Amino acid sequence: MQVRDYEQFAHAVLPEVTAEEFSRQEFVKSYKKHLATQVSPNTKVVYETQVKPAFEKEHGRTPKNRHEIRKAMNANNHYQTWSSLLRTSQEMMWKSCQVPVERQLDKLISNSRSTKNAGGSLKLDPTLDIPRYHTAVDIHCQPGGYHTEVAENDISAGAVYDRGVYIYAMGQLGPMNDDIGASTAAYLKYAYPDLAPTRILDLGCSAGHSSVPYKTAYPDAEIYGVDVAAPILRYAHARCESMSVPIHLSQQNAESMDFEDGSFDLIVSHILIHETSTVAFRNIMKECHRLLSPGGIVVHAETPPFKDMADDFDSFLLDWDTYNNNEPFWSKSHEIDPPSAAKEAGFDPDRNFEFMAPSAFEAAKENRTNVFQGGDFGGGGFWYLYGFQK
Amino acid sequence: MPNDSNTGGVKLNKHAKGPRPQYFSDPASDKLLAMVMALAGEVSVMRDRNDTLERLIETKGFIDRSEINTYKPSKEIMAERDTWRESYLSHILRIVDLDTGDMGRNDISSEFQDIMDSV
Ligand SMILES: C[S@@+](CC[C@H](N)C(=O)[O-])C[C@H]1O[C@@H](n2cnc3c(N)ncnc32)[C@H](O)[C@@H]1O
Repeated sequence: MQVRDYEQFAHAVLPEVTAEEFSRQEFVKSYKKHLATQVSPNTKVVYETQVKPAFEKEHGRTPKNRHEIRKAMNANNHYQTWSSLLRTSQEMMWKSCQVPVERQLDKLISNSRSTKNAGGSLKLDPTLDIPRYHTAVDIHCQPGGYHTEVAENDISAGAVYDRGVYIYAMGQLGPMNDDIGASTAAYLKYAYPDLAPTRILDLGCSAGHSSVPYKTAYPDAEIYGVDVAAPILRYAHARCESMSVPIHLSQQNAESMDFEDGSFDLIVSHILIHETSTVAFRNIMKECHRLLSPGGIVVHAETPPFKDMADDFDSFLLDWDTYNNNEPFWSKSHEIDPPSAAKEAGFDPDRNFEFMAPSAFEAAKENRTNVFQGGDFGGGGFWYLYGFQK
Repeated sequence: MPNDSNTGGVKLNKHAKGPRPQYFSDPASDKLLAMVMALAGEVSVMRDRNDTLERLIETKGFIDRSEINTYKPSKEIMAERDTWRESYLSHILRIVDLDTGDMGRNDISSEFQDIMDSV
């Protein structure tokens, strides 16, 4: 396997791109980078020098919270321009990834069905309902979301997503898009040196970006992944097998799974929770409690919550995706209070933890903005982990 | 030219389900901005192609069209192109930078009148 830190790793089902398609994707990457590094910082200047003083003059006080800031900023032309540019970059990004997939879907599907066998498995359930939080809008503006199928044995959603994530994060998640999983696993190794899981479950595993690094961290463990979407699971299966990483994938809703009580020592999720709902999160927490063995750990990785932001303006920036990138649960999920969640699901509230895990992908370090803002995913340099022990 | 032709027979929907926010008071401005950026992208694609062409001619003296289409830039060339695109984007988006200066102030007409009166 040849892995280079400046380009995405080419496994068997990664879509190929022509020189022009590649240039188009590279443009989107530069465009996003320009917004994050050159235009976004001015948003704060505009707020401090124009929007906030105008608000204070009108109301005789400063804005109370991120929502008041958002309302005031929505009327500001600089912010309108920045937002409109960012939204447009997101749309161009998906399209730049869709066109190459359309062109070669037959070949990709055929590749996905003839990869080598690494010992993993795939179990699909065509009767599974796709939850409303995934059908109501196309999350983060990926047309068709994770679940839409356009061909027999379709993997198009996975192929578009895999390349899309790489460009979305401007390569900051590493050549295998695995930074969130690798950073979380590194934290677990450090904080729980005695943890030797035999079975690990990755919830909402998508293309398996974050599942794969657990095999490196815990080579003796069996890794399981669940997701609700079939096309992304077929893709994940082919991708993981071709990378020689055996993972047992099944199409299930993390709110209610068919595994036995106490059958996992470690359950992880990476950027899953913000794409669910209040009720789903509650159900997922209960399922995790049921599936964990005594002493077992569950950890969710996300971008940091509002309470960890320096001020309301930064919270407002972090909240951009909610309103502009079809992320209906982003806002509420960043208000989750781990101690209350622990209690509700039956975990010991004294044994829950929160941690800012430094990004494991060092090569991206010097180019990061170190800001958590819309359109700059992975730029913060940290992942927020919260977890519970049974 | 953009390769939007679909030889595989499958067509993926290009629009995300869900309402698209309106950013400017006139929705036409939102459309125009999206068109300008799409065009900016195509210019950048053509510039990369031109760069490939020049490099191939420089190293080989002649070119074969298929080599342009399959050309893979090295890490160094990718970095040069990144730098070019960054300055290219700052040309195109120059007007946005001005928002933090004089342009950001809502009404400078009276201020300008003062300047006119003073000269
Ligand atoms: C942002 S992606 C996760 C990315 C992946 N974990 C990673 O780190 O690369 C969210 C995934 O969660 C899946 N998902 C959402 N709700 C789910 C649920 N209730 N049960 C299982 N999977 C779910 C979606 O289909 C999607 O593939």
